Amino acid sequence: MAAKAAAFKRSSAVAVRNPKLQQTLHHVVRHFTEARDAAVASEFPPETWEQMRERASSIKLQTLLNLDFYLDMVDRNVRRNGGHVHFAADAAEANRIVLDIAKRNAVKRVIKSKSMVSEEMRLNPTLEAEGIVPVETDLGEYIIQLAKETPFHIIAPAMHKTRQDVSRLFQDWLRSAPTDDIKTLCAIARNALRQQFATADMGVSGANFVVAETGTVVLVTNEGNGRMTTSVPRVHVALAGMERVIPAIEDVALFLRLLPRSATGQRITSYNSFISGPRRASDEDGPEEFHLVLVDNGRLNLLKDERLREALKCIRCGACLNVCPVYQKTGGHAYGWVYPGPIGAIVTPAMNGFARGADLPFASTLCGACKDVCPVKIDIPKLLLDLRPEAARRTGTWAERLLMRRWVDMMRARESLERSSRLARLMQRPLSREGVIRRSRLPLLAAWTQARDFPAVAEKSFARRWRDGLSRAEP
Amino acid sequence: MTTQPEASPAKEAFLQRIRQALGRAEPATSPPDHPPLKTNLVRQEEKLRTIRAKVEARRERNAERLAENATKVGWHVHRVETHDEAAAAVAAIAAGLHARNVVRTAEDCFRQADYDGPLRRARAAPIILASGRNRSRDSLKATAFDADLGVTGVSWAIAETASCVIVPRRGVARLASLAPPVYVAIVGIEQILETLDDYFATVRLEHMKGRGHVAAYANFISGPSRTADIEQTLTVGVHGPGVVHMLIVGRE
Repeated sequence: MAAKAAAFKRSSAVAVRNPKLQQTLHHVVRHFTEARDAAVASEFPPETWEQMRERASSIKLQTLLNLDFYLDMVDRNVRRNGGHVHFAADAAEANRIVLDIAKRNAVKRVIKSKSMVSEEMRLNPTLEAEGIVPVETDLGEYIIQLAKETPFHIIAPAMHKTRQDVSRLFQDWLRSAPTDDIKTLCAIARNALRQQFATADMGVSGANFVVAETGTVVLVTNEGNGRMTTSVPRVHVALAGMERVIPAIEDVALFLRLLPRSATGQRITSYNSFISGPRRASDEDGPEEFHLVLVDNGRLNLLKDERLREALKCIRCGACLNVCPVYQKTGGHAYGWVYPGPIGAIVTPAMNGFARGADLPFASTLCGACKDVCPVKIDIPKLLLDLRPEAARRTGTWAERLLMRRWVDMMRARESLERSSRLARLMQRPLSREGVIRRSRLPLLAAWTQARDFPAVAEKSFARRWRDGLSRAEP
Repeated sequence: MTTQPEASPAKEAFLQRIRQALGRAEPATSPPDHPPLKTNLVRQEEKLRTIRAKVEARRERNAERLAENATKVGWHVHRVETHDEAAAAVAAIAAGLHARNVVRTAEDCFRQADYDGPLRRARAAPIILASGRNRSRDSLKATAFDADLGVTGVSWAIAETASCVIVPRRGVARLASLAPPVYVAIVGIEQILETLDDYFATVRLEHMKGRGHVAAYANFISGPSRTADIEQTLTVGVHGPGVVHMLIVGRE
């Protein structure tokens, strides 16, 4: 358990030593950040963009502070639209709800458009265990599913796969001819997935926003698989984290301006779908059943903490990943769970009660780039700092804890500080050269000492020099 | 439409946990103060009058802006004066594709001119995609997936984002604009809104007037189906249409 709880140090070290991965990360991350900067700067004066972020942040926060009210509103309006609403406290309950719906409808095949919540739930293995075939239809997610991996990036799940990797996967699974042409690879996937779309009995999607006022699920996609998933099968199930809700239909405009620009640098994505219940009797097509599953699964841990609550404003654009100097080197898998990058470093330990990602709050230089790009102004560095005391309790060594306790005692009183300084001056003599203690692997404290030089304690304390200086200045 | 049975115990427990997390024991007695939820019908109608007046005064400018933005995101934009010209343009697109089957919706724009005649003369078979008239759900699906070209009108177009707004209903199947590899949207110049805000204000008014009823589905189409999931290389036509045409009908 401890290894799983604090695995970042090891997994990131592996990622950093993978040259192919480093090259891909460098390329992709630069592509995303440049596109985002261009999309924001070319259209809005900085103060306008700032006002938009401010408004979005305040809408999300006010919604969270009244979440019970708005979720009740969602429930009433989705039911008014003829849909069903389910409330799932955790992943197990959410899985049970989806399985029940599938079984009641004798579903054999499920097509999925992207849902991060379904990754949290591990819905695919759950369905497979019951003999139901889940098929991911977002191209990146499809590649990841064939490779039996987890997403590498919130919005570019297969960014670590080269065209050769994809060609090999398609050869193995779809018996296609090898090719280096990306257009051809897309066509192979299109044809393979068309069969799935035409024959699936149930579609499972995520939800970018859930509008309380109208009971509408908003999907933001580029490929068209989201439209297929929500239009072709007889049953549509939308999975939404309980914090996806926004109050009014007129709020959507603001969030549709912020999300695609922050995510991919697009003014808008190719498709936006607004789903308000199942098809009406007079409609030509569309699902006959619509279910919305609202999922907690650890979000309450964040909601009940006045400081961490802010992280639930996140609209999952992924901008904080792209600008993060840590993510830029480690990539997504090192974070060990569904949500990577700076926002993942907050929500992973918080949602999982530190049973996962306990060392993630330290996976940050606190440079603040994430805070600057966040479209809903989450103060990510501050939240990481807020999480660090708990993270240190969970992951530190006994030597560190002892050292920190001594440090606190020492700093508390004047006499103890001076006493300790005198002692330190004495003890550092064999280690220090020219005022610096050179890096070395000190037993038990290697993590602190093997990579940095420490300044040695000065021969004369400042207080002492102050006093000496004063005495000299006297006539 | 049937309303589903009243709230479940699971819901009550869920909401109660949220209240506790927020440090409240009871459900909120008054709704939170969120201005967009507070407007009344009179004020919303007033807002819409302003929007309509603005849109009417700037028709040509908005058409130009739509055309410009649409071109940027990959639409092939054609500006024509009349629906007869639009019908000829659709037939020319079909002929260029050597299209055999062309699916279309049954909506107002197709009553403004004969769209089917020119298509037939271009050796394409126009098919109205509708589930009535002896067509089951599966055969509608098969017809749509088999088509070479899809043609629909729009409910609105939005100049800001180059979006065509499709609201499926009787006569307007979802698959007509989704399943075929090539798609044509027919946009009347009077259907062009300026901004996303204009559109959502319109939806809000309809929602208020309809006493809370909304369309089951609405879709913005803002360019071709695209992906960059393999090596960040932009590729069009992965699941939806890879080639999209926008015909803007009318000039001021």
